[in-house]
Amino acid sequence: MEEKFPVRKIIHVDMDAFFASVEQLDDPGLRDKPVAVGGGEKRGVVAAASYEARKYGVRSAMSGRVAAERCPELIFVKPRFDRYKEISLKIRKIFLDYTDLVEPLSLDEAFLDVTENKKGMPSATLLATEIRQRIYEETGLNASAGISVNKFLAKVASDINKPNGQKTIPPEEVLEFLEGLDIRKFFGIGKVTAEKMYQLGIFSGKELKARSLEFLTEHFGKSGTHYYHVVRGIHHSKVTPERIPKSVGAERTFEENLSSEVFMLEKLTHIAEELGRRLKKQKVAGKTITLKIKYSDFKTQTRSRTLGYYIADQSLILELAKELLYQETLENSVRLLGLSLSNLNTGNTEEEPEEETALTVQLRFEF
Amino acid sequence: MKFIVSSSYLLKQLQVLGGVINSSNTLPILDNFLFELDGNKLTVSASDLETTMSAVLEVDSDSQGSIAVPAKLLLDTLKTFPEQPLTFVVEDNNTVEISSNYGKYALAYADGAEFPNTIELADPSSTTILGDILATAISKTIFASGNDDLRPVMSGVFFQFSPENLTFVATDAHKLVKYQRQDVQASEVAEFIMPKKPLNLLKNILAGSENEVTIEYNESNAKFTFENIELVCRLIDGKYPNYEAVIPKENPNRLSIDRVQLLNSVKRVSIFSNKTTHQIRLKIAGAELNISAEDLDYSNKAEERLTCDYQGDDMQIGFNSRFLMEMLNNLASEEVSLEMSLPNRAGILTPSDALDEGEHITMLVMPVMLNN
Repeated sequence: MEEKFPVRKIIHVDMDAFFASVEQLDDPGLRDKPVAVGGGEKRGVVAAASYEARKYGVRSAMSGRVAAERCPELIFVKPRFDRYKEISLKIRKIFLDYTDLVEPLSLDEAFLDVTENKKGMPSATLLATEIRQRIYEETGLNASAGISVNKFLAKVASDINKPNGQKTIPPEEVLEFLEGLDIRKFFGIGKVTAEKMYQLGIFSGKELKARSLEFLTEHFGKSGTHYYHVVRGIHHSKVTPERIPKSVGAERTFEENLSSEVFMLEKLTHIAEELGRRLKKQKVAGKTITLKIKYSDFKTQTRSRTLGYYIADQSLILELAKELLYQETLENSVRLLGLSLSNLNTGNTEEEPEEETALTVQLRFEF
Repeated sequence: MKFIVSSSYLLKQLQVLGGVINSSNTLPILDNFLFELDGNKLTVSASDLETTMSAVLEVDSDSQGSIAVPAKLLLDTLKTFPEQPLTFVVEDNNTVEISSNYGKYALAYADGAEFPNTIELADPSSTTILGDILATAISKTIFASGNDDLRPVMSGVFFQFSPENLTFVATDAHKLVKYQRQDVQASEVAEFIMPKKPLNLLKNILAGSENEVTIEYNESNAKFTFENIELVCRLIDGKYPNYEAVIPKENPNRLSIDRVQLLNSVKRVSIFSNKTTHQIRLKIAGAELNISAEDLDYSNKAEERLTCDYQGDDMQIGFNSRFLMEMLNNLASEEVSLEMSLPNRAGILTPSDALDEGEHITMLVMPVMLNN
């Protein structure tokens, strides 16, 4: 096994209370004070809380009202995402001095694979210290880091000595560390899964490890396999540098195969919503919409349409998707529907070559 | 503010209104239902700013008030109840408490005053029409409307009222449907373009309805009132294309054929057509209709022969098979007639039977220029 999967060195860098720290950095009046970014409006939620505010129990994703109750002196500031992005890019540049294998998770955290790094440094621990030092020097912000043999462990480790600290879990300590780890700290185990684990008598890595693969897949499906491996220190997920996507899509497999378009409309609405959300998140729009239909016999069909302009609006996507759905009769009952947009306005994708001079011309009314 | 209402009655009404609510709103208040209580009359509204629909419900109450309740949360809750009375009590701490046979649920509400005001129509004209007729008019036309952002007028259905008849038209510049009712009239001439979303809502609610719908309209808005429901929407601004001008008057070539037979042939043959143009070829000579398609990229080819009733010159004409199928599918008649003049002029498809007294349907489809 060692040979097949050589030990990697992964660093997870996580900025401490990033948004709030940026605000405190830019406005000295906010330093050492409880600050919440976002949540100022009536129905807003706190996007980030400074460490001073966390002492009062203010957490991110908490409603502004609750936060203000917990900490009456709390100062609400409006988020300035452009500024956070600017700093985030600065930090990313630092990362790239060490390795090209940088996978940003969000504006304030990233995975770095430093197994082979540009500085030729053998110690990932020292490298992490240096990176954190440089982040502080160049931005004035504190970062925490976790160093270990895979992404999962690095992520868990970065939380341990937070804020402004780091933790290394060396290969020989991995198994022991995982056995003692609270099940709720496992990356990928949320509240609901943790609750389920508790009911099954699993409270820490040790109990999780004691369960068979069959038991875990029976209770947690596919994720069961993931948990089974992760607790044994196996997590092969690669650090993948951000790529500019060629297309954005969303799809859904149904619990039961559907045989009529009517039943698919609701599903299609959800898929279009999800796609709309993803497009919004990635701030892209596309010209070509493709509907993917996987039949119950796993035969896959795609129907697409290219427009003369970019779209990203979910209601428009839904309209077009419906058209594509009704464009032809279904061959069989359907197990999966998917929607994707390609020909994105990301600038670097080559436009599909215009269709060759059409042999046929669809005539239009002369309005 | 407090009222008691039957859970299934409330759910039924809210599900109808819920169709108005967009799944993602820029204005968070639009994620809510507006509840306006006045004694035993509860008016519930939903809006996406373009369209606002409200329903008046009978409830048991003697109080007044106006609150906005999160729509999704409420619908999800109501769906789980078997029929039973529910008590809604508005508490001081900005929550409304619902009591069921099983327990209590508290929902945060917003002040009803935050909800956008429904548009009041300034001196409207009005017409009444039977619910089912309106639903039919919508479903016969809406499929032909376009999705082109550059021509927003064509993304709706054109309502044309006159003292002689009511006419509904939709087109995307490739196909066109004109649906006319001689048996319903308006007091004066009026024209407006209805957007698709409210029409789809109306179509679903009104299908089969024996109730009268009152349509009020002015320059910018239309209001549909029926039973306990009121729908107000903004109209599409702009001038509808002069569709009458594109309906060919002289059509010497006339084909009559069984609708289902033609539809099935087109369906089969179209499988072999080019995947981007969906083009099929109709060749008519004597009493024979030859339908063929080929996809040169894959050397796929199909050809069928049908017997038909044809008067006119021998001719060849190409169509996008999707358009033909959509149109044939939307008709209910046993037989259809296709009138044509030249291979580059619109074909006119009409049903030969299965129409109500005073009902007229004309469908136009532009051909694809054949490359011989």
